[in-house]
Amino acid sequence: MDALNHLLAGFGEALTWQNLLFALFGTVLGTLVGVLPGVGPTSGIAILLPLTAFLPPTPAIIMLAAIYYGAMYGGSTTAILVNIPGEVASVVTTLDGYQMARQGRAGPALAIAAISSFVAGTLGLVGLTFFAPALADLALRVGPPEYFGLVVLAFSVVVSLSGASLLKGLAAGALGILVALVGLDPQSGVRRFSLGTAELLGGIDFIAVIVGLFAIAEVLLAVERRAAAVSLAPIGRLMPSWADIKRCTGAMLRSTGIGFALGMLPGCTPGAISFVAYDVERRVSPSRAQFGQGAIEGVAAPEGANNATTSAGFVPLLALGLPSTPALAVLLSGLQIYGLQPGPLLFEKQPAFVWAVIASMYIGNVMLLVLNLPLVGLWARLVHVPYAVMGPMILVFSVVGAFSVRNTLFDVGVAVAFGVIGYVMTRLGYPTAPMVLALILTPLGESALRQTLSMAGGSPVLLATRPLAALFIVIGVALTAWSLVARRKRPEAFESTG
Amino acid sequence: MMRSVFRPRVAPVAAVVAALVFQMMLLAPASAQEYPTRQIEIVVGFAPGGGADVAARLISGYASKKWGKPVTVVNQPGASGMTATRQVINARPDGHTLFLDVHAVSSMLFASQSDVPYRMEDKTPIALVTFDPVIYTVKADSPWKTLKEVAEAAKANPKSFRYGLGGVAAVAAFSVSQFLHAAGVPVPETNKVVFAGGAPALAALAGGHVDFAGQQWSEAAPLILGKKIRALAVVHPTRLPTFPDVPTAKEAGFPELNVVGWQGLSGPPKLPANVVAKWSALLEAASKDPEFLQQAEKVYKVIVHKGPEAFWQFQQEELKKYLPMATQIGIRK
Repeated sequence: MDALNHLLAGFGEALTWQNLLFALFGTVLGTLVGVLPGVGPTSGIAILLPLTAFLPPTPAIIMLAAIYYGAMYGGSTTAILVNIPGEVASVVTTLDGYQMARQGRAGPALAIAAISSFVAGTLGLVGLTFFAPALADLALRVGPPEYFGLVVLAFSVVVSLSGASLLKGLAAGALGILVALVGLDPQSGVRRFSLGTAELLGGIDFIAVIVGLFAIAEVLLAVERRAAAVSLAPIGRLMPSWADIKRCTGAMLRSTGIGFALGMLPGCTPGAISFVAYDVERRVSPSRAQFGQGAIEGVAAPEGANNATTSAGFVPLLALGLPSTPALAVLLSGLQIYGLQPGPLLFEKQPAFVWAVIASMYIGNVMLLVLNLPLVGLWARLVHVPYAVMGPMILVFSVVGAFSVRNTLFDVGVAVAFGVIGYVMTRLGYPTAPMVLALILTPLGESALRQTLSMAGGSPVLLATRPLAALFIVIGVALTAWSLVARRKRPEAFESTG
Repeated sequence: MMRSVFRPRVAPVAAVVAALVFQMMLLAPASAQEYPTRQIEIVVGFAPGGGADVAARLISGYASKKWGKPVTVVNQPGASGMTATRQVINARPDGHTLFLDVHAVSSMLFASQSDVPYRMEDKTPIALVTFDPVIYTVKADSPWKTLKEVAEAAKANPKSFRYGLGGVAAVAAFSVSQFLHAAGVPVPETNKVVFAGGAPALAALAGGHVDFAGQQWSEAAPLILGKKIRALAVVHPTRLPTFPDVPTAKEAGFPELNVVGWQGLSGPPKLPANVVAKWSALLEAASKDPEFLQQAEKVYKVIVHKGPEAFWQFQQEELKKYLPMATQIGIRK
C-alpha cells in the first residue's frame, strides 16, 4: 500500500499547526465565498493568489484548495434559504431545498447538504488517493465523441425537469440554447448575435445569468407577493432524523459515484453533473413523487455530486496539469508560481507536497462538517428575517457578484435583464431549471459535436463507432423516451415540479 | 533550487513598511513624489491561470519586490482580451493602470481581424518581456519521430491527418498552418479540430483524439515531461533548457517556421516618459537577474527584453508576418 504510506506521511505534514491554520482559514473563506451569490471560488482564489509571494508552497496551496472545496459547502446555504444558488453547481439544490425551507425544514435541508457534501467529498478523496494517475489516463481516453454522448445523456434531464407542461420546459431549454449561442463560434470564429458590440462578442456570462434568473427574479417575486419573510412556519428540528439520513444514504453513495466518475473528465462542468445526479435519484427513489416539493434526497444528491466532483477535479489537475474548472485553473497558476508544475511527474518529484495537500483535504472536509453543522441553527433562523431587510441585501450581493466576474458593468446589466426574464418566466409558469441546464450544456455539446465531425472529415461516423459515445447516446435517448412515457401515464406526478 | 522556493518570504513586507516610513520622513512636505506613488494595477484581458496571467504575475512579483509598492494583477477576461485593452486605453495615463500586452490582443489580433475596436498605436509600448515558443508535438506512442516524418505522412494521406488547435485565431492556428504549408500539405483536405484552449487541445493529443499539435512551451511542457506527448521541434533560435534533446525547427529542417507567442507591458496613450523609462529599466534589470530568469524558466517562459522603441518595432514586424498568413489560412475577418 504505497499510497497509504504516502498519505500517512502527508497527514504528518498537514497536521502541523501552521498547515491546520491555513486549512481552517481556507475552509472558512471558502464557505463565505460559497454563500455569497456570484462571488465564486475563482475570484476567492484569485484574490488570495498574491499571498503566494510570502507563503511557502504547502500552506499556500492547502489554503487555496480549501477555498475551492469549501465553496461547494457554502453554495448550498443560500440555495436552500432564499432560492439563490451561491455557485453554479448549487442550482439544482434550489429545487427541493427551497421548498423544504418554506415548509420550515431549512434545518434538516442545510444539515443533510453538509453531511452529504462531507460523505461524497471524503469518498471522492479516497478515489483521488488510491487511483489518481491511473484514472487520469482513463480520463484522457474520453474525447469529443464521448463528450457529445454525455451531453445527449444530460439533455434528457430537460424533459424530466419540465414540470407541468412539457412544451414550456422545452421552450425554456430552447431559450437557454439561444442565450448560449451568443458570442464567437468556437470552431470558426464567426460572430453570432453580437450586434456589433465587443461585450456580446465575449458571450453572455453564465454567473450573471444565474444571479439574475434566481436572485433578482426571486426578490421581484417576493416583493410582489408582499412576503414578510421566506417562511413563517416555525423552525422545527434542526438536524435530520435517522429516518431522513437512512433515506438519503443511497442518494449520497450514488451521487458520489456519478460525481466522481464525471468529475474526473476535464471537459465536464460540475453544474451539469449535479443535474444528472438529481435526475438519477428522481428516477430510482421510492419517494420520487415528492421531488420538487421538498424531497430531502433532492438536496442530498446534487450536494453529494458537487463535492465528489470537486475531489475528482484534482485527479486531472495534479496528475496531468489539466484544470476542469476556472477555479482550478487559478489554483494551477498558484502551483506554477512555486515552480510546482502539475503533471505526471508531480507525484514522483514532490511527493511530500502532493500528499500533504491531499491529506489536508481530508482534514478540511472534517473541518467543514464541524463548521457547517453548528451554523445550521443560525442560518435556519435567517428564513424569519423580515424581507424588507433580506431583499435589499440580496440585491446588493447580486450586483457585486455579477460585477466581480469580469469587472464590467455590462454583466450587472445582464443580471438585471435576466432578473426580469426570470420573473416573467415564473409568472407565466415556465420552469427556469431547463434553461440553466441548456445554458450549461450547449457550449460543451456544440464544441464536442463539431470536433467529432472535424475528426472524421465532416462525417458523424465516430458517434456510432466509438462504443462509449454510442452507449451514452442510446442511454440518453432511452431516458428521454422513458420520461415521455411516464409523463403520459402519470401526468399528476409532474404537476408541481420545476 | 528548491531552497529558495520553500523559504518563507518576509522581506517584501519589511520592504513595504520600510519604504512607507522612509517616504513619510523624507517627502512629507514635498509635492512631487517619485513614481510610483501608490498601488499599480496590471490588467490582464484573460482569466487567471493562462499564459498571459502567469507573465503578469511574474512582472508584478518582481516590481513590487523592487519598488516596495504593491503591483497587483487584475483579471478582466472578455471578448478575447479586447474588453480589458479598451478599458486601459481609456484609463488615466498616470502609470498606475498598465496592461499585459500579448500577441493575442496585438499583432496576431490585428492580423486576423479588420475591425478591432482600437488601434495598435493607441497603446504606449513599454517593454517586451517574454517569449513563449511554439513546440510541435505528437502523442507519446506516435510512429512519427521527426517533423519531416509528420510532413511525409500528412502529404501522403491528408484526409486522415488530424490536428488540434487551441483556438480559432490563436498561436496554434498560425503555427500549425505555417508548418503544413511549408511542408506542402494540401491543407483544405486535412482535419482541423479546434479546442477551447491549449490545455484541452493537448489533452486530446495525449488521448489520441488528434495526431499533431503546435502549442506553446508553457502549455505543452508538463505533458511532455510526463511522457504523455512527445516534442519533435521547437521554434526558437536555440534549444530550450527543459528539453535539451528537442531540436530547433531549423535543425529539424524547417528554418522558415517563425510563429511565436509573447508577452509584454503597455500602457494607455500619452503615458509620461518617466513612467515608461522607469518600467523599461526595471524590466531590463529583471532580464539580467538570475533569480528572475530561474523563476521564468519554472513557468516555461523565455525572458527577452526589448525597450519601448524595439518593442513597437517588433509588434509591427509581427503584424507584417501574420497578415498574409491570416489571409492564406482564411481566418481574417
